[in-house]
Amino acid sequence: MKPLARVILRMLSRPTSAGAAGAVMAAYALLYLWLTGDIAGGGAGGWQATFPAWERVFQARGLFQFEPVGLLTLGALVWTFSPLNTLLAVSMGLLVGLNIVAGWWLWRTPRQCGLSGSSTGLLAAIPALLAGGACCAPIVLIWLGLPIAGVLASLTPFLIPIALLLLVAGLWLSLRRLVGEGSPR
Amino acid sequence: MIPRMLRYSALGIALSLVPLSSMAAAPPIQETPTVPVVHSLASFREAVRAGGPGKDGIPSIDRPRFQSAGEATLKDGDKVIGVYHRGQARAYPQRILVWHEIVNDELGGEALSITYCPLTGTALGFKRGETELGVSGKLVNSNLIMYDRATDSEWPQILGVAIDGPLAGQGLEELRVFWTTWGAWKARHPETEVLTDQTGFVRNYRRDPYGSYNPTSGYYAPDSRRLFPVMQRDDRFPPKTEVFGVRGPEGALAITREALREEGVVDVTLGERRYTVIHDPGLDTGWAFHNPEGLEIRPTELDFTAEGVTGPGIDSLEAVNGFEAMWFAWAAFYPDTYLYEGQEAP
Repeated sequence: MKPLARVILRMLSRPTSAGAAGAVMAAYALLYLWLTGDIAGGGAGGWQATFPAWERVFQARGLFQFEPVGLLTLGALVWTFSPLNTLLAVSMGLLVGLNIVAGWWLWRTPRQCGLSGSSTGLLAAIPALLAGGACCAPIVLIWLGLPIAGVLASLTPFLIPIALLLLVAGLWLSLRRLVGEGSPR
Repeated sequence: MIPRMLRYSALGIALSLVPLSSMAAAPPIQETPTVPVVHSLASFREAVRAGGPGKDGIPSIDRPRFQSAGEATLKDGDKVIGVYHRGQARAYPQRILVWHEIVNDELGGEALSITYCPLTGTALGFKRGETELGVSGKLVNSNLIMYDRATDSEWPQILGVAIDGPLAGQGLEELRVFWTTWGAWKARHPETEVLTDQTGFVRNYRRDPYGSYNPTSGYYAPDSRRLFPVMQRDDRFPPKTEVFGVRGPEGALAITREALREEGVVDVTLGERRYTVIHDPGLDTGWAFHNPEGLEIRPTELDFTAEGVTGPGIDSLEAVNGFEAMWFAWAAFYPDTYLYEGQEAP
């Protein structure tokens, strides 16, 4: 386990890698919060922040979806802020970011057996991106007018744990290979 | 030893009383529902789907707050659900109810649940007694399935009859609520109170996740598709077309809004029962009556007040509940519904 953690630390100590992972994390977290409906339009301009419902911080609305505690408005954007949803979004974003950076490092690592570059990390990010969208896929599908939203609604609770599992597994595989093959100096 | 036995038996008795006491708090019910149940309860149960959010994932408003009509920031064209009960008028903005679906309220000293299902476009009121209604998270024919917090029985909103739980087969007592606009409601009830967005929950009340009613778009557009499977499909109208529905012991009746608007008074006989449905031009809805004597009601002699429709003969009629619904949902619950499209095309 320790060598794997050392690879992560080495990644984060490099400005380009850390910057890339951070940018992916932020972009993913925002996309996730937008797709799940925590961030949406409807703002009346200006900015405002109220936190009227702290007592609901651990109250679930569904699986992996928690009650918002605060309302943040900035211009046209409205964020119904839940600390746990945000933590989940940021954690998944970080995992996607690390997967991508690990995949990139593996790709740059000289091959010993002539294998083509690894795309594990990039592949693992796909289910996570899908999961982020899946939480409110029914709503996206309403916009698109597709009738399969009803079928998807019953699947959504499983998509986040599956995505987390795939992301962790993908990262673990990439890191193990980086440890074995020696990461870029 | 003996004190311990006493304690256990006391506990046993107390526990055995729990279901009794919760049954006592059950909502007021009709053991023989006055509304038709066309499919078997078992087939309703088979058709139940998970809507996405879990039980209470869409939280009912249990401590509603109100403001005066003057304080409300609604546009005249915004949809509201209006209730007038024992001299008290209240409006529940659709844009708040879309996030909560049920308000456990009290009007004129009576405990009521005001319910709204966005997916079927239906607003109904129920007497709730000492308990509250909540959102089960399940749907049948896209319609909200409510549960009561005393017995956990499950009640599809349009059906008004429990399909599962201890009260299966029994009906809730309904109360007329109005699906109308803020401008129309305010004109009829200037003293109305309005539900505020201080619901105890944080939601983006300026945004409707399904679409918009002012102007109509998204999921609410007549031609847009439904999202969940239905027990019975009927393509005579686009799925989201709004009809005015009335149910009686002999079956269900749907009147197109155009026919109701144009004719003012619609007389329909279902089985042996004669119904008269009167169009209210102010609220743009119908008032339904059982008219056993076949009294003739003339639109020109009618007056519409806060109390309802008045005019010669109205007092001798028996009011029947009616509500607007999206056609696909009405036809799914009542496949053999009588459909009134106007005198030219009965």
